[in-house]
Amino acid sequence: MNRNDIINKREWREIFEALPVVQGFFGGDPDSHGINELLRNIAVYLEELLAHVDDGKPFVWYNLGFNSELIYALEGVQPITIELLGALHSLICNSRNTLDFIDRAQAAGVPADCCSADKLAIGAIHKGLYPPPACTVGINTPCDAQVLSTQVMAELGEAPFFPIDVPYYHNEETILHVAGQLKELIPFLEENTGRKMDIDRLREACELSNRTAENIWEWLDWRKQVPLTQSSKLVAFTLLLQILFIGSQKGVDITEGLLREARERTGRGERFFEERVRAIWYQDAVWTDLQIYDWFERELGLTVPVDVFGYYANEGVIDTSTPDTMLYGLARKLVNCHPMARQFRGDIDFYVKDFMHMLEAFNADCCIFAGHIACKHAWGGIGLFKEACRRADIPLLVFEFDMFDPRVTSYEDVYFEVERFVNEIVWPRKQRG
Amino acid sequence: MAEEILREVGRLIRGISNRHVDEWKAAGKPVIGYFCHYAPREVILAAGALPLRLRGAGSEDSSSGDAYLSGRLCTFVRHVMSLAIDGGYDFLDGEISLNSCDHVRRSADVFRKKTAIPFHGFLSVPRHPRASLYGYYLEELRKLLAGMEEHFGVKVGPDELRGAIRQINANRDRLRTINEMRADDRPKLTGAEALSIHIASQVMPPAAFVDLADRLIEALKARPGLDTSRGRLVMVGAELDEPAYLEAIESQGALVVADLLCFGARSVLGPLDENAADPLDEIGRAYFFSSSCARMIGDFPRRWQELKDLYEKVRGDGVIFERIVFCDPWGADLHNILHRIEQEKTFPVLSLTREYNIVPTGQVKTRIQAFLEKLEIARAQQAASGGER
Ligand code: SF4
Ligand code: SF4
Repeated sequence: MNRNDIINKREWREIFEALPVVQGFFGGDPDSHGINELLRNIAVYLEELLAHVDDGKPFVWYNLGFNSELIYALEGVQPITIELLGALHSLICNSRNTLDFIDRAQAAGVPADCCSADKLAIGAIHKGLYPPPACTVGINTPCDAQVLSTQVMAELGEAPFFPIDVPYYHNEETILHVAGQLKELIPFLEENTGRKMDIDRLREACELSNRTAENIWEWLDWRKQVPLTQSSKLVAFTLLLQILFIGSQKGVDITEGLLREARERTGRGERFFEERVRAIWYQDAVWTDLQIYDWFERELGLTVPVDVFGYYANEGVIDTSTPDTMLYGLARKLVNCHPMARQFRGDIDFYVKDFMHMLEAFNADCCIFAGHIACKHAWGGIGLFKEACRRADIPLLVFEFDMFDPRVTSYEDVYFEVERFVNEIVWPRKQRG
Repeated sequence: MAEEILREVGRLIRGISNRHVDEWKAAGKPVIGYFCHYAPREVILAAGALPLRLRGAGSEDSSSGDAYLSGRLCTFVRHVMSLAIDGGYDFLDGEISLNSCDHVRRSADVFRKKTAIPFHGFLSVPRHPRASLYGYYLEELRKLLAGMEEHFGVKVGPDELRGAIRQINANRDRLRTINEMRADDRPKLTGAEALSIHIASQVMPPAAFVDLADRLIEALKARPGLDTSRGRLVMVGAELDEPAYLEAIESQGALVVADLLCFGARSVLGPLDENAADPLDEIGRAYFFSSSCARMIGDFPRRWQELKDLYEKVRGDGVIFERIVFCDPWGADLHNILHRIEQEKTFPVLSLTREYNIVPTGQVKTRIQAFLEKLEIARAQQAASGGER
């Protein structure tokens, strides 16, 4: 297998062809350091991927609840999150391929009522688009949907599979339990990739991870400012960062870009729209077309300083003094910081508490619960979540859509719901004081 | 008469409670509802409480459950929670929820906040049955036990646990006999009847169940065997505690001679050691490492092998897979089962997606009919080519 076997596949070719175009488009605004760095580093990652294929080096597949540090700590091993192609096609607005992946997964027996994020992954695997893995890692966070994608990954990956269990509770035992499994994971990875885990390399990955995390925390602080001076949609990208780039220089570069942009735009007092209303976008971003956030800003004066994908809780940096402290720190990040895994795996009180914190910290006026239809844990908490918002007197919009499949709720319908909520409820209420 | 005993079974499982539960309560003893097979009944029983499997039987609509859990969750859970929110489960002295799946996990929130039930236990069951994760499960059982001891003011030692093991072993022993009788060449009972008995074993005191099952087994011996010439089916899938569903399948002429259903034969573990030095560990191991549920990730190969072995053992003609709409864990197994069938050409399968509380009607029956015809044609072709069944 060599790079041509990848590039010649239509689904990859279209990515390689579109990336420079998208880069050119955003590069038109030289101040968009965040998105420009993201796109540049995606290109770097893809080139590394091709080089790995050429060199016959090992790949490790995993699902979106996992983070990449431990893989980067193995010399010459490349991480692949199985949602990658779906996410990239969404990013370049190529819905033909995302819908193709979804349909392919359904044709193979994945029920229509299951999550489209999993179907993107499963469809891409069925089409044989990823370089075969040396082994696969599955984690049960953030939700049951990951149980689906990991089971299918284990089945179709045809490689040894290592499951990581994350318990329900938010306590010290949970972190220790996960850290213990990361310790087991290392020999598994070593055996299946044929690479030895070097402690210095692990430390380096953890240090890069820490720098990335610190940048994000600072960047999120900039987003608390009113009015928001950077684009709302940027926040949706940070999840990809945690899953694929954290623990590498790419993560640092992307976050430095985001931070620089925030600093500069705020310093210049830039405002390309009139901010009227700030919302916490709880639940899933409109991945089918992230430009919708630009439209919200310009037409409605609605900004989204943070969403559940972009919120990265500050639960402390990784202590790099010993292998055990590093595994502990990595486990803590996986369960307490990783977006969604933090809020989605436990009881509803934690989910509500995080929302209330974001609302206050980011000076938001309301909540938009964008209910991805297959997100069972979220819908399962909706009654209690509504009650909590009502008690706290927070305007709440709840609507159903599919974050990757516009056939469920059209772009226009999503816009209509949000427009009505902002113009008829939140803005008049805000004016009344 | 077997028919009479089976009618009695039908009465016991018609709703979420029955006269045995009433008698237990009248004797001043607590009843604890539990959601999932991974909450060991022995542990509840050892604490002096009657373990009662939570069900949605008798729920007429799921509107209260829908209000809290939305219409996007599995209807089994929504019906159970509708009953709970509306006070139907207020007779319980406690409930035990788990992280079995997101649906059951979210019900735990609703149980705590929207019902009058005084005791709430929770088990975080590791998602994979490997040895290194077992310690976590055992610790969870210890904490659950300690919680029950404190709440109910009881002390549970090894003797109480061994006593509970003995009682549940006796139950399982009877269920194994019944499962053998249903797998005969001419089975003594239908799949729907067998499922009813399995359900009864989970909603009544073990001693009363043993009495009932012994009478039934004796009576079945005299019953003429049933014809399976239209097809011997194996059923696999998620929560199914509605014998009427199996009745509808069997009304088309085939018999469900075995199952791997959570309310059915999958809950029948092998006998546990009644004299184990550490009985809690004995219980924990039995549940954690036994026949697994689709919520266990990376364990599909074992489930697949189990299904194939069972199919062979009972000389199946086809498999029916059932799943409640919106269930992700069983959605994954459906994909994987179809994938293996395609690779290994093992057996014909019919996949049915269902809603709780809805008995198959015309369209589903037509699909079952068509499936049975397919099986018949395959058998006829095999016979014509001199192949064996
Ligand atoms: S199907 Fe699985 S998760 Fe659901 S109750 Fe049964 S054992 Fe528990
Ligand atoms: S059927 Fe599926 S969704 Fe419903 S309770 Fe069982 S595992 Fe959960």
